[in-house]
Amino acid sequence: MNIVLSLVRNEFEKTWRSRWIVFAVLFGLFLLIAAGLYTYYVYREHRWTPPAPVAWQSQLRDEIAGNQHTIAGLEQIKQQTQGQGGTVRVGGRNGPGVSIDQAIAQTQQAIADDQYLIEHNIAPVQSFAIAQASLFALGGIVMFLLTRIFGWLASEQIAGERSDRTITILLSRPPSRNQVLFSKAIASFLISLVVVLLSLVIVYAMFSFWLGSPGSVTDQAAVTIDGAKPLGPGNLLQMPIYLFVVMCFGAAMLGVLCVQGMSLLISVVTGRWAAIGITLALLFGAPLVSTVVAGIVFLISGSQDSSHFLNYLFFNILAPVGSVAPAFGNSTAAAGSGINEFPSEVETLAVWTFGFFLAAWLLFRRKQEAG
Amino acid sequence: MSAVVEVERLSKSFGRVRALNQISFDVQEGEVLGFLGPNGAGKTTTIRILLGLLHGDGGTATIGGHDCWSDHVRASRFFGATLEQPGFYGFLSGRDNLRQFARMLGPVDEKQITELLDLVGMTERGDDKVKRYSMGMRQRLALAQALLGKPRLLVLDEPTNGLDPNGIHGLRILLRKLATEQGLTIFFSSHLLSEVEELCDRVVVLNRGEVKASGPLSDLMNVKGFRYRIDVSDVDKALEVVRAVDGAKAEPGTIKDSINVIADNDIARRINYALVAAGIGVDQLIRTEQGLEDVYIQLTGVPVASPLSSPVPQAPVPPR
Repeated sequence: MNIVLSLVRNEFEKTWRSRWIVFAVLFGLFLLIAAGLYTYYVYREHRWTPPAPVAWQSQLRDEIAGNQHTIAGLEQIKQQTQGQGGTVRVGGRNGPGVSIDQAIAQTQQAIADDQYLIEHNIAPVQSFAIAQASLFALGGIVMFLLTRIFGWLASEQIAGERSDRTITILLSRPPSRNQVLFSKAIASFLISLVVVLLSLVIVYAMFSFWLGSPGSVTDQAAVTIDGAKPLGPGNLLQMPIYLFVVMCFGAAMLGVLCVQGMSLLISVVTGRWAAIGITLALLFGAPLVSTVVAGIVFLISGSQDSSHFLNYLFFNILAPVGSVAPAFGNSTAAAGSGINEFPSEVETLAVWTFGFFLAAWLLFRRKQEAG
Repeated sequence: MSAVVEVERLSKSFGRVRALNQISFDVQEGEVLGFLGPNGAGKTTTIRILLGLLHGDGGTATIGGHDCWSDHVRASRFFGATLEQPGFYGFLSGRDNLRQFARMLGPVDEKQITELLDLVGMTERGDDKVKRYSMGMRQRLALAQALLGKPRLLVLDEPTNGLDPNGIHGLRILLRKLATEQGLTIFFSSHLLSEVEELCDRVVVLNRGEVKASGPLSDLMNVKGFRYRIDVSDVDKALEVVRAVDGAKAEPGTIKDSINVIADNDIARRINYALVAAGIGVDQLIRTEQGLEDVYIQLTGVPVASPLSSPVPQAPVPPR
């Protein structure tokens, strides 16, 4: 055990001393974004201090009013187009090809959902700053970029040693190959854990300011079970908000682990630049290909549900957190969302992760270093 | 004495290329064993198998009685090693690199690190980043790394690569000191025959993946015969004349306007007489006893001064 701890310490030192600039740039980016948002806030609100907090009921009433306004607009368009004898399909969040009637029905459903929540005094998950921060930091663009950085760093772990020729010392010394691989995996995971945690804290601070209050972390929050169905007693799960955050954090870290497993596998069999290239090509290219495939599937089938299977591919590591994103209020119902998707997506991610690490382990323990 | 390293009928192939063909040798405790052979002979492959980086296809390789691949963790506690072109973390200092590798052996002994840096003459540059080191400095740091944890066996692959003459001389003294004062067993490969000749108790000569000879230097070098280098005015004519002398084998020398002659008996006078009688000017005739270089050439078939072998220091051209 001591030897593993020593190796983990070595990895921390190497990562920090060789890649501190990456972490500095990340921190600088956060600072820049925060400063930009704050400037925008000051410009728009004409104030330096946070706004007064708004109760979640008021937020939902605003949403209802906004949705009613949208319906009125849609009805007007519908009447005009009926007069011309044609049908108009609207885009937006529901994707291309949604008819006006469908859009009106979905918006009416959103209004009904909000009214249900107000009537039953159930706070939706997005009314908490910590929940919004979790969804943004753990399931959005921040996590998308962080996982690419973690993938890059993990891809160098063995491949970098091979390119630097330090692998000969590493593997000829007493630590076993299992210990070497295990300590590298542990170290990269712990580093990513700290970075993700810090990102969450920073984003939480930003949302707390934006919403005028850090909000509660112990209240009960509601999440839809099936995002494609109307809200109701059978389609609503209430849980403490901290549990929701832990759930998102766990799923996000599993995604990170999956990426690190894949990168480590590539790292075991290649040199530094090949490992970085293949890892980044997969992590950036696969979602691109996935989007194209989803588009083709939609064009052929005419239904977005048909490309749902793509959520279960390894590179869609943000899928579990994405599926528990609020599926009511402004976000109209959509297939593939809701907490009932979460367990199976996490399960799939876990299987991919296990598979990657197992393959990396099997290859590394027999890998011959011919120089 | 007992064997620290035992290699038995070890074979290794890379695809169709047979790098090692059932080689066998051992390294006895406390001895300095030289591992000789031209490029591609299989020296580094053998060392990589001993270090647990490669797995032999057949035969066994053990260190301290432990198999180098299947029981690598135990075997690795016996030795410290450097490989050709040693690798380090360039962004760390020499001292920090040693700390990194020391942690793999247990708690870091700062005193030992300081002593090792001093031993290899790196005290002043120990806190500089390795990326600023010359090849020679990296070699010295590699030796310090190999000595971490006070190993019983030192495995060195071409340790003199990149060292200047002073560095080579210093390394020779250091290795001899380690062997005699600390009883360290040293197994090292080198192209420098002079190093092997001066340092080693025994040598193993490898060529094309096979052991061509092994044993004490005194036995190997017990080759009867004489070697001459003759500087002449006309090489072609001189070769013709000397080849006619009974018992002489002549070939063009590696130095301009010279020929090399090998003979079982001392025939210097007869050669000189024949050359002078044929009207060929003889500027110099040097007689030397056969040495390791000759044995090496005989065993490997690779002339030491061949452009295909590693360069070795050549005798200066005598003034004419």
